[in-house]
Amino acid sequence: MIASVDDLHVSLRGNPVLRGVSLSVRPGEILGLVGESGSGKSVLALTLMGLLPPDAHPQVTGTVEVAGVDMMHGSAAAHRGVRRRELGVIFQDPMTSLNPTMRIGRQITEVTRDTDRAVQLLEHVGVADAAVRLRVYPHELSGGLRQRVMTAIAVAGRPSLIIADEPTTALDVTVQAQVLSLLRDLRDEYGCSVLFITHDLAVAAQITDRIGVLYAGRLAELGPTRELLAHPTHPYTAGLLRSRLSLTTPRGRELPTLPAEAGPRGPGCAYHTRCPLAVDRCATEQPPLVGDEHQRACWRDISDMPDGTSAAEPGELGPAVEGSAVVRLHNIRCDFKLRNGWRRAGTLKALDGVDLEVAPGEAVSIVGESGSGKSTLLRVIAGLIPPTGGTREVTGGTQMVFQDAGSSLTPWLTIGELLRERLLPLKLSRAEQDQRVRDALTKIGLPATVATARPRQLSGGQRQRVALARATIVPPAVLLCDEPTSALDASLAASVLNLIRQLRADLGMAVVFVTHDLAVARLMGDRIVVMTGGHIAETGPADDLVSHPQADYTKTLLAAVPEIAI
Amino acid sequence: MSDAAVVPRRFGVRSRTPAVHNLTLNRVLVGLLGLVTLVALGARLLAPDDPIQPVGDFNLPPGSPGHLLGTDMIGRDLLSRTLWGIQASWLSALAVVLVGLLFGGLIGLVAGAAGGWVDNVLMRLTDLFLALPGVLVAIAIVAALGPGLVHTLLGISIVWWPYYARIIRGEVRALAARPHVEAARLAGASRLRILRRHLLPGTVPTAIVTASLDIGNVVLLLAGLSFIGLGQLAPAPELGADTARALTQLLAQWWVPVVPGIAVMLLSLVANLGGDALRGLLDGRR
Repeated sequence: MIASVDDLHVSLRGNPVLRGVSLSVRPGEILGLVGESGSGKSVLALTLMGLLPPDAHPQVTGTVEVAGVDMMHGSAAAHRGVRRRELGVIFQDPMTSLNPTMRIGRQITEVTRDTDRAVQLLEHVGVADAAVRLRVYPHELSGGLRQRVMTAIAVAGRPSLIIADEPTTALDVTVQAQVLSLLRDLRDEYGCSVLFITHDLAVAAQITDRIGVLYAGRLAELGPTRELLAHPTHPYTAGLLRSRLSLTTPRGRELPTLPAEAGPRGPGCAYHTRCPLAVDRCATEQPPLVGDEHQRACWRDISDMPDGTSAAEPGELGPAVEGSAVVRLHNIRCDFKLRNGWRRAGTLKALDGVDLEVAPGEAVSIVGESGSGKSTLLRVIAGLIPPTGGTREVTGGTQMVFQDAGSSLTPWLTIGELLRERLLPLKLSRAEQDQRVRDALTKIGLPATVATARPRQLSGGQRQRVALARATIVPPAVLLCDEPTSALDASLAASVLNLIRQLRADLGMAVVFVTHDLAVARLMGDRIVVMTGGHIAETGPADDLVSHPQADYTKTLLAAVPEIAI
Repeated sequence: MSDAAVVPRRFGVRSRTPAVHNLTLNRVLVGLLGLVTLVALGARLLAPDDPIQPVGDFNLPPGSPGHLLGTDMIGRDLLSRTLWGIQASWLSALAVVLVGLLFGGLIGLVAGAAGGWVDNVLMRLTDLFLALPGVLVAIAIVAALGPGLVHTLLGISIVWWPYYARIIRGEVRALAARPHVEAARLAGASRLRILRRHLLPGTVPTAIVTASLDIGNVVLLLAGLSFIGLGQLAPAPELGADTARALTQLLAQWWVPVVPGIAVMLLSLVANLGGDALRGLLDGRR
């Protein structure tokens, strides 16, 4: 075994994070670790590295071994030796894990102590002009190149195990595909093992040999990738697979979701409050992880699981209302002046001649990778950015929902104060205002008592619901959504998407939905607009565009979307 | 799993002081800030004697009956003089910091929220004042208006507010770049409302911490100016001035200059520790 943990319990700040995990990484395999945020997957990685933050007062029991060395006991020097010789690490954000003050070359030669080998390594991970790149700083590289450099550093010491913690989450989907195949090539070449941590089952499906599904600090299921995806044996895995949004998810229906976790965690299975199969025993007794090659921790038989989609009533997508467009953009251009110190370094054409019309009540999705201008376009429609050229006509009000609901809600104001702000122009009495706030909260499925809470007391999904309530408490003609679900776990994301569709149907407003995810774009829009480099590459009805893409760029994008092929 | 199975064990790096101890310590230190302010306000009640009239023998050493800290060269009670001196120094420092906070804060808030040319004009104006040598301006004002504590305070205040303007502006610029301000604009909030409700409250923690750390600086500057004769006029008690006037006695009766000198040091220490503790408490809450 390259690395193994046995009955590992970890508490941080007194809260149990891992609650009895047993797992081993075999030589030469890519082991995927899949879980929602807070499931403890990153803490497991840190424990393996012996790098749990001392500030969090970690309490650890069980055994942790990497290459035969105990990473819980023993000297710091021994742990450092293991990290240097046996481990390579790739983090989510290479901008923060590369040293911004050091040239790339020096950061690689720190490990290799040899410039020629550094050049070789860079060429190996697919960085062109490697000799020249040694002299650049991290900020001069694109996100994909940075992650390649990070990968080069990770394999430089010829490690026996690479720990990759969400290495592609911050990357565009086309770049993600490249980094995934690079990781697999490196594994084949160097014969090292990879512990691949991700929240996305489909990404894990692309690259891993085995998958461990982590839920609330315990393994729910562990097995060979193909078998686990084809025949999940734990209701959580099955639910995740079912609620995953793909290019083939039916458009007309309500999106399948997992119910939210309710109540405090008891002595039993942590999943039992969300589980459709739960019986009394599940609440009181923790199921052990049993099995040989394909292990599962569940008291019930999965074949009894009800089909989640049958309960879903058909959602009303609703055709666009006839009438003159609520948004009419013609030849919109938007330049940003780039400065390099005092000098004008040039202009960035964020939008370069964009035409777009949105009919009343229509749902339009805008898809593109980072830098495509999709968010700028949304801000131009909202009137937050004045366009450099072209004409913009917007009739009726626009409201916007941002990617990060946490930072779009003023942290020191209560939810009630934030919602009431929208009502000020209506000159309502205090009682009427309170009534409207209560109604708005009920509509998004939150109790009225939330009005006195502050944003940080709410979970990520609740915050995004509040942001939606603020946008729609006075219905706008157009609701603008800027990747509202990309920071949410899959099961929460689907319920927020359902809510947006529901609000659109109830209020008859048009929705412009910006996303980097083609599957989400197809589900949220009657029409998809594909953007790249500040202009529109292709536009068409959602299903047509996905099944018969015309533009080359759309084809590339579609090919890179990770899908679970069973 | 039962809780007993978990053996508490520090992992990896040396452990640090548990956070809860820091919390208590921080509260005590912040409490000291309040205590000193109370002492300064209550000097009239706390001082056993009149600070200006001689009440005993000359140069009595500390510990003399009736005069805990001794008396000075003309027989005034040192404890009473020091307490009144603390009042003069501490309240003056509070006044300077408060004026700086209000005036500088307003400039910074407007500059940071407005941006563009308003920001440029206000900040270049701030730079202009920042470039003035503080001590010289105070001397010039005292020379023009005549010596006195109020004139010295005026001089210090003129060069003090720009720091606050810069800090608050920086904070507002950072806040204004957050999506919540964009969201408030979209929600239809007026400029004034955004300023008042979505920007101002975010600057309060920084402003309070900066100000409390700054009190120590002003206490020291004020004592220094008084030391060279630019502060409180002769009979009235002031810590810096008292230290300076008795300096010739340092070898013969050390306590006469040292007692007010130590008071200055303690005030400055309390202000700094209190400010740091306040920062710790406010950071912990975020």
